[in-house]
Amino acid sequence: MGEELKVIVFALGKEEYGIEVDKVRTIERLTPITRVPKTAAFIKGVINLRGVVVPVIDLRGRFNLSETQPTENSRIIVVAVNELEVGFIVDSANDVIDIDSDTIDNPPEIVGGIKAKYLRGIAKLGEGRLLIMLNLSEVLNKNEIIQLEQLEV
Amino acid sequence: MDMNAYLSMFIDESNDHLQSLNENLLQLEGNPEDLSIVQSIFRSAHTLKGMSATMGFEDLAALTHEMENVLDLVRNSKLKMDSFIFDTLFKGLDALEAMVQDIVGGGTGKADVTSIVASLQGILKGDYKSQAAASTAAAPSASANAGGGEASGGVLLDQFQSSILLQSMEAGHQPYYVQVSVDENCVLKAARSYMVFNLLESNGEIVKSEPSVQDLEQEKFDRTFTVFTISTLTAEQLYEQIMNISEISSVTVTPLDAETLASLTSAPAAAAVEAPVKPAAAAESATAPLANDSVKISSKPSAAPQSAPAAMNKTIRVDIDRLDTLMNLFSELLIDRVRLEQLASEIKRTELTETVEHMSRVSSDLQNIVLKLRMVPVDSVFNRFPRLVRDMAKSLNKKMELIITGADTELDRTVIDEIGDPLVHLIRNSGDHGIESVEERIASGKSETGTIHLRAFHSGNHVFIEVEEDGRGINKQKVLQIAIKNGVVTEEQARNLTEEEIQMLIFAPGFSTADKISDISGRGVGLDVVKTKITSLGGNVTVTSAEGKGTKFSVQLPLTLSIISAMLIKLGSEKYAIPLSSIVETGIIKRSGILNVHGNQMVEFRGSIIPLVSLSSVLESPDYDESQEQETEIVVIRKGDKMAAVMVEEFIGQSEIVLKTLGKYLTNVYAISGATILGDGYVALIIDPNALIK
Repeated sequence: MGEELKVIVFALGKEEYGIEVDKVRTIERLTPITRVPKTAAFIKGVINLRGVVVPVIDLRGRFNLSETQPTENSRIIVVAVNELEVGFIVDSANDVIDIDSDTIDNPPEIVGGIKAKYLRGIAKLGEGRLLIMLNLSEVLNKNEIIQLEQLEV
Repeated sequence: MDMNAYLSMFIDESNDHLQSLNENLLQLEGNPEDLSIVQSIFRSAHTLKGMSATMGFEDLAALTHEMENVLDLVRNSKLKMDSFIFDTLFKGLDALEAMVQDIVGGGTGKADVTSIVASLQGILKGDYKSQAAASTAAAPSASANAGGGEASGGVLLDQFQSSILLQSMEAGHQPYYVQVSVDENCVLKAARSYMVFNLLESNGEIVKSEPSVQDLEQEKFDRTFTVFTISTLTAEQLYEQIMNISEISSVTVTPLDAETLASLTSAPAAAAVEAPVKPAAAAESATAPLANDSVKISSKPSAAPQSAPAAMNKTIRVDIDRLDTLMNLFSELLIDRVRLEQLASEIKRTELTETVEHMSRVSSDLQNIVLKLRMVPVDSVFNRFPRLVRDMAKSLNKKMELIITGADTELDRTVIDEIGDPLVHLIRNSGDHGIESVEERIASGKSETGTIHLRAFHSGNHVFIEVEEDGRGINKQKVLQIAIKNGVVTEEQARNLTEEEIQMLIFAPGFSTADKISDISGRGVGLDVVKTKITSLGGNVTVTSAEGKGTKFSVQLPLTLSIISAMLIKLGSEKYAIPLSSIVETGIIKRSGILNVHGNQMVEFRGSIIPLVSLSSVLESPDYDESQEQETEIVVIRKGDKMAAVMVEEFIGQSEIVLKTLGKYLTNVYAISGATILGDGYVALIIDPNALIK
């Protein structure tokens, strides 16, 4: 047996993703977002999270998946990693589960169009359910944003 | 024991002690005869030693111990301060500071201090100079001298200690001579003596103990020790309280009067040379108690700093994060207040309106207090400058003096944290480039010592800090030459520059007028960094100079970086805030009034032609385009001398806004300096007007 991990499960399209509970500060319904001009397209803007201004990024955009219109189920998951506080827009967030760290396998090169370096691994949940664990510090890597911006130009 | 819990306290307090050591040592340097300063230096050093030994920082404790030994000699008038001792002590302080910094950075506080320790020990032995040896030799004979006429246990008070006791008597406190014996079976004698000291200190002040505190701490005493103390308690109370400490076998408390005091006081011959007034006064009091008045007067100069401790306010240390949280919560409240005011004006019930009005008043008071909490006197930055100037004078071999005024001027913590380095730069610049060498000063008919004035004062919503020196002033020709040589301006441009513009050239990147590179300044990376830093704080720096007479740098800073006045504007569905400090005025222009110059839109404003900026295109507004309108509202903004007109859709109004950052994820967003939360809970971005003017 490995460690027990508590994981928040959210969905982007048909895939299910996981983030460790201790990295998540709060999960919010979609609130009005203030656009910040001249930033990368996946940076949707900033929100007021109880008096603190928090940037929000669209995780679909971040992973180069097609962006969709927000729905009733859309949520903002606010994570805090390495002193960065960022909100992720996801299609839905609906579960907290315990997984065994031993069941996390190394990710294949590409999963659903997402590069392996953003992933920590894939957890098998049984009944054929797979959970993609995110590598948050890589997802929030700012150097890459700068490169991305240069590519877009 | 887990030391981590105490580490931050240790660091805070050591920094305080180091700072006061620095200050007092500087003061002493200007006034080497004043033994009361030595006393307070000694006390700080002693506390520091104790603290660092407790925390296990042996090197720190060892070095402090050596410094303390030297100070002890000075305190007992066995050693006269001279510039060698001062230099060594300052070096020691620097080493201590470095060690504490190391501990702050997570290190062990270890450092090689052998050379400093060696020179300190050299001072102790008195072999660094024959003159010092003579004065130390004189001291023992003097104390042997006075030892004869003593009845009570041979404990002698020196001049200084006796003057403190006399002083306290005049102030209505009673000095006591306390003799304490510890039980024979006592295991922890040091602990018991510590408890006695603690008790005495909580009710008054200990003037002298025999054996010394250090010896007591190390149990270097038999069973009995004696203490001279000033106490607010009566003799009986004192007796009872000391007896209440367990394992104390006997206590005698003897109240002292002026006469016994005089007989207890030694009159060392060596001290007589250094401070001729005081021994004379003491002798007088011994022979004629009636002459008490003269004692008062003559003993005052030395005891005055003691009897008037700097008005100590009761303070607590608060983590700056907690203040930030308080500020955040308060701004939440502010937002709710605005919302409530809106609701009240819609609902129109008198009771509700009155309550909301009351709440508004209370919350503006609260706002003032919350803001004040974060205000810190600039002294916390200024206090390191006297030392800086002293060291600079030594290493440059110039004579200079720093005069600080307005050190109690308060600034927001966030500003204080940032202005230290720029000010260091300015002062170094003044000392290095401004003040001339002694010969040069004499040749130009000035006093030998150059003066650097450091002033801080309030003016409106700003705080000004000025660094002014009476040195050689800025040589305009030289500035121009170098500016042209370094490619800051072309020769053609140079011809059209006004005097002020030439002086401002020294702030240009890559500019340095020093012929030689010194370790103080002159790398050409000084003043432009200063300017950038101060501008980023929302401030401004200017220089005025008269050749041969001196130079003045004037730094203008905002009072706080947390709350600013701003104009809220609308751009389609979006709202933005423009800081009021950079707005000149607002107005309306007609589309037909827009001129095209070289493909740039310009507009006439008060007789001059200024550029017109389309905010909607700069910010890529999704749903507003001013070109559809016949008339457009404009905000005229200013950056230095340059102005520009910014087109907006609509003015919402002026408002006090709370500055928030966009977070660490979004940095360097173009033309945006931050965000604020509006009354309706929405986030509005704050426009950086400086980015709009090229």
